[in-house]
Amino acid sequence: MNVQIQPILAALKRHKAGTLLIAMQIALTLAIVCNATFIIRERLARVARPTGMVETHLLTVQNRFVGTGATSSEPLVKADLATLRQIPGVVDATAINSYPLRGGGWSMGVQTDPDARKAITAATLYFADDHAVATMGLKLIAGRNFRADEISWQDAQKVEAPGEIIVSKALADKVFPDGHALGRTVYIMGNARPSTIIGVVERLQTPWSGTFADNFMEHSVLLPIQLTGAFGSYLVRTEPGRLDALLKTVPAQLMKTNRMRVLRDDTGVRSFAEVREAAYKTDRGMALLMTVVCVVLLAITAAGIVGLTSFWVGQRRRQIGVRRALGATRSDILGYFLTENLLIGLAGVVVGTAMAVGLNLWMVTHFEMHRLSMVYVAVGVVALLLIGQGAVLAPALRASRVSPVEATRSV
Amino acid sequence: MLKMTHLSKVYRTEVVETYALRDFNIDVKEGEFVAVTGPSGSGKTTFLTIAGLLETFTGGTYHLDGIEVSRLDDNARSKIRNEKIGFIFQAFNLIPDLNVYDNVEVPLRYRGMKGPERKQRIMDALERVGLASRAKHYPAELSGGQQQRVAIARALAGSPRLLLADEPTGNLDTQMARGVMELLEEIHREGATIVMVTHDPELAARAQRNVHIIDGQVVDLGEDPRFHAHAARAVDA
Repeated sequence: MNVQIQPILAALKRHKAGTLLIAMQIALTLAIVCNATFIIRERLARVARPTGMVETHLLTVQNRFVGTGATSSEPLVKADLATLRQIPGVVDATAINSYPLRGGGWSMGVQTDPDARKAITAATLYFADDHAVATMGLKLIAGRNFRADEISWQDAQKVEAPGEIIVSKALADKVFPDGHALGRTVYIMGNARPSTIIGVVERLQTPWSGTFADNFMEHSVLLPIQLTGAFGSYLVRTEPGRLDALLKTVPAQLMKTNRMRVLRDDTGVRSFAEVREAAYKTDRGMALLMTVVCVVLLAITAAGIVGLTSFWVGQRRRQIGVRRALGATRSDILGYFLTENLLIGLAGVVVGTAMAVGLNLWMVTHFEMHRLSMVYVAVGVVALLLIGQGAVLAPALRASRVSPVEATRSV
Repeated sequence: MLKMTHLSKVYRTEVVETYALRDFNIDVKEGEFVAVTGPSGSGKTTFLTIAGLLETFTGGTYHLDGIEVSRLDDNARSKIRNEKIGFIFQAFNLIPDLNVYDNVEVPLRYRGMKGPERKQRIMDALERVGLASRAKHYPAELSGGQQQRVAIARALAGSPRLLLADEPTGNLDTQMARGVMELLEEIHREGATIVMVTHDPELAARAQRNVHIIDGQVVDLGEDPRFHAHAARAVDA
């Protein structure tokens, strides 16, 4: 096969409009697809972040007592927990103000110096009990769990910092980069009272799935405090395979214990899988939308290439016949169209690379996007060139089958 | 040089078989200038396309420069077209997107010839047809006669063993036609073997030998002077 770049370029110069159109289409597609793929990957990475809990065996309960004063919920919660823990198939249960992916919670600054004006980092506060670590399935990697006698009941309006806290490893490492957090004290909640770190768990996410908590996604504090009030959440850990049945049993048993409550049909009792699903709906929706945009764009570009090449093959039938008569083999003709497309494609991806980087920089400034990794551009370039060659193959093969006798047909 | 024996070409459809050539015999010797004449539909063009390996034939044998071509595959046929045959078409068939230089270069590139040799041959061929100064012009910027000269340069550049011309002056006015014909005669005098298909008895008369085709068969009248009058009548009819 004789590849002839110079005469192909010379011929393309005489077909500027079509050539520029396809090259620009390839450039735009590259710019958009690279950035869209980058966004998709970021979204999917966000969705895939682990919470640190044993999600597959968790049930969540969002409860609201009615007709009860804010301070008098302690016996009701204790009764509910007693009920939950004795249901067959339940491993453990805990009362907690929030949990990962719930969407709302309590965050405060953490500092080691009580007079410091600026906190070292923000962290989420989980008001939990001594059953929280076991129920959530957190991995305690240093220190100990809370004891039952350390749990206090407090009014949410005037919470006192506790003497003991458990923190996530990410928070421990952030506040104490030397790696020795256990036994050290920190100040939380703007309180002048220090709290001693008695335990470190491997991982525990904050309740937020959006970008709000991106800077402290795994900075969590467990406090041995139960908040009194009408609203509250329970987490229930089930034995393997019992979750579905318990989705019905749990609300029934809770209602049996105390009818003076509201358990909403949609969010009252949910498996954690549903919580995760709801939390990342937008992210998955965005990823899906971007995927569709990418596929459509690539399809349009491929169709454009097929269309233009088919048109050119039709237009050049006689010329192809002449080339065949002058000694071009079928593979020479095939090579001609493949090379022609490759040259247009190369021009497109060169411009497209610049556009991809430019588009990303624009989004970095305006939408807090991250910088686009050049790997995406490189993969995009290769993919688009391959798609181009794939799209041009059918019309190019058709061209290669044009008979040399075409040269003698009258105009 | 070009020898066809009992050659036939049949076009088959579901209902009919049409013989474009039937028991066709021709023998063109090296260095000959043969004009092939005949009425429309007689098989002249079919003969030329088969002679030029642009088309296959149905029966018989065809030897080109000593090679029996019927068993050659497509690539081998392309190679022979490229190396042994120079084509001159009625419609010139220059590639409109390429300038004169690049047009002449086309067959040389398919031969895989190196750049400097290509350049030498292209310039020689363009000198030969008197168009070296037009190398950067595009076909559309040239007159018909000039375009045909470029096509002749393209045919000559590869130093073919055989020149096949299909009504080379058919699209030209009398003056341009004369110029092109004189060029072909010159090329013949320099030793080229030329087979020219033509309607024009005046043009045919200038060839060394005439072959007349009627209904797909050759009526070889040799160099008999009486032929010319006969051929003229046949064409007029």
